Amino acid sequence: MTLSTFYFLVQQTMFFSIPLLIVAIGGMYSERSGVINIALEGIMIIGAFVSLFFMNRMQASMTGQTLLVLSMLIAATVGMMLSFFHAYASINMKANQVISGTALNLFAPAFAIFTARMIIGVQQVTFANTYRIAEVPILSSIPVLGDLFFKNTYITTFAGFAILIIATFVLYKTRFGLRLRACGEHPQAADAAGVNVKRMRYTGVLISGALAGLGGLVLMVPVTTAFDGSVGGYGFLALAVLIFGQWRPGRILFAAFFFGLMKTISAAYTGIPILLALGIPSYVFKMIPYLATIIILTFTSKKSAAPKAAGEPYDAGKR
Amino acid sequence: MKKLLILLAIVLALGLVACAPKEEDEKFELALITDVGTIDDKSFNQGAWEGLKQYAEEKGISYKYYQPTDKSTDAYVAAIDLAVENGAKVIVTPGFLFEPAIFKAQDIYKEVKFVLLDGFPQDGTYTQFRIENNVYSIFYAEEQVGFLAGYAAVKDGYTNLGFMGGMAVPAVVRFGYGFVQGVNYAAAEMGINVNLKYKYLGGFGPSAEYQTEAATWFQGGVQVIFAAAGGAGNSVMAAAEANNGKVIGVDIDQKGESTTVITSALKGLGVSVYDALTDYYAGTFKGGQSVSLGVEVDGVSLPNDFSRFTTFNKAMYDAIFAKLVANTDNIRTNIKKDTDVTSASELPVTNVTVEVIG
Repeated sequence: MTLSTFYFLVQQTMFFSIPLLIVAIGGMYSERSGVINIALEGIMIIGAFVSLFFMNRMQASMTGQTLLVLSMLIAATVGMMLSFFHAYASINMKANQVISGTALNLFAPAFAIFTARMIIGVQQVTFANTYRIAEVPILSSIPVLGDLFFKNTYITTFAGFAILIIATFVLYKTRFGLRLRACGEHPQAADAAGVNVKRMRYTGVLISGALAGLGGLVLMVPVTTAFDGSVGGYGFLALAVLIFGQWRPGRILFAAFFFGLMKTISAAYTGIPILLALGIPSYVFKMIPYLATIIILTFTSKKSAAPKAAGEPYDAGKR
Repeated sequence: MKKLLILLAIVLALGLVACAPKEEDEKFELALITDVGTIDDKSFNQGAWEGLKQYAEEKGISYKYYQPTDKSTDAYVAAIDLAVENGAKVIVTPGFLFEPAIFKAQDIYKEVKFVLLDGFPQDGTYTQFRIENNVYSIFYAEEQVGFLAGYAAVKDGYTNLGFMGGMAVPAVVRFGYGFVQGVNYAAAEMGINVNLKYKYLGGFGPSAEYQTEAATWFQGGVQVIFAAAGGAGNSVMAAAEANNGKVIGVDIDQKGESTTVITSALKGLGVSVYDALTDYYAGTFKGGQSVSLGVEVDGVSLPNDFSRFTTFNKAMYDAIFAKLVANTDNIRTNIKKDTDVTSASELPVTNVTVEVIG
């Protein structure tokens, strides 16, 4: 394998891993506050749809990174708005969180397709990709690292890493993070200590919505020229990343890149002579992330790091 | 309180039903039933719909489309029932998925005419084939337009090509086989040897995986990919934009979707539906027939815009097109189709190395 093939693989891996990372971190915030959010897939779809529609409308008058950043903000805002419904159902109404999330997952693609056809007339939202950065000035000339991270890239990649760092810091080094985690582990104790459980959980779900919406846009921009009302199950994959990563940012990073690498290899192995010579069918590579998740789950189920109160509506009367 | 709410909901629901406008009297003579796609899928349904709409509007005939509730023969038959109930005289059904539904419906509604695109009525298990004289089955010679696309690409100087089909369904296979043979024909004419990668992706929607796959091909030296894969083609275009590659579009002219699209393999869906309807109203409906529309009746073609080619031009296109129409040296009838060989690697080629990727 030549060095340039390796660089190419890493660049491609980013297209899979960064959205998974962003969405899984979103899921982490929700679950560590005590609310399971399986609506990530649906929120990704709506986030991608609204922001790409915005892009579709605005690209005549503006291009480049400004438009991308604006679209990212819109995706996050819309994701947050959608997740509000999930938060209201599962926190205020104490509804079953899986059902509420499923409802959003069913609603999202239908809404995207319906709205697109009402407004544009066709289901596909096309957009022109003017956001690829062929080379980041100066940084791209750093040996190895320059080729890996600063060529053929998008600002979304750096945004993903920034989100990881900020999320880790907030979760472990701030008062807010401590309270959020407490609400996911033992909300009654947190409440007794004076923490507003409802508010913490709302915050957790809304953060997850914002990141999932953003993740939808980040996933679609580099890989197509038309959005078709689907994110291809990446929201569910992000849930698997979250579980594989045992609800911890560092491990989630590892899991996202492991999944992304396997996805890349399964799609790109025809261009890698070593892998092609092995004669392993591409399906095997496609299975590996899922097999690994099952295995990890089997071995860690006893000491799973899942937040203890995740999935349970908060009942102040229960001790 | 809860009971009161439920009561209120029931009253409201009943009220809405009572207020619903009655459309019993309205009849629609021409009907189209969509398959898995929608009326605006930029492909099969849309092409057929545009032909039907054009005819109906020109002649002032009522028309309507129906979307089945799901993708099953029962749902298709139910949609046909509904269309007939609404007064349909001609029903257009685009796509081979309708074969079993038409197989049934042709006996149930003997007075209704069916135009079945890309399919022949069969019982659903491919054991019994039968066409009644109220059904007109139209196929397209995808292998011919695939041939033209491949020929154009090689004549334009590309020597490292790729084919990405959505799934190995008959129409896509014909596109692919034709492409390989067109590439071979041009290479033989020019006395060069070229390489071709061949693959079925496994889906028709855009995805990160297909982008990576196409990007890998472009990185590996492939210069142009013929993407007969619906929406998955958009992912191939994204890869082409980032990796300096080119794409050949499919079904309709896709040059507006990306600057990397050099040409598209067109099917004259609208024209054939329009013609079938013209025949019907002239009393010459070609019931009981199954035809394959090719270059000789403008069933398939490349778009009339050669600006994104460097050396290939209209004169060269017209020459090869005329050759196909005239069937010089059996050029047209020698093109192998999906039913002739079982894999692209078995196609008889001399100047192209085909690498089929499983």
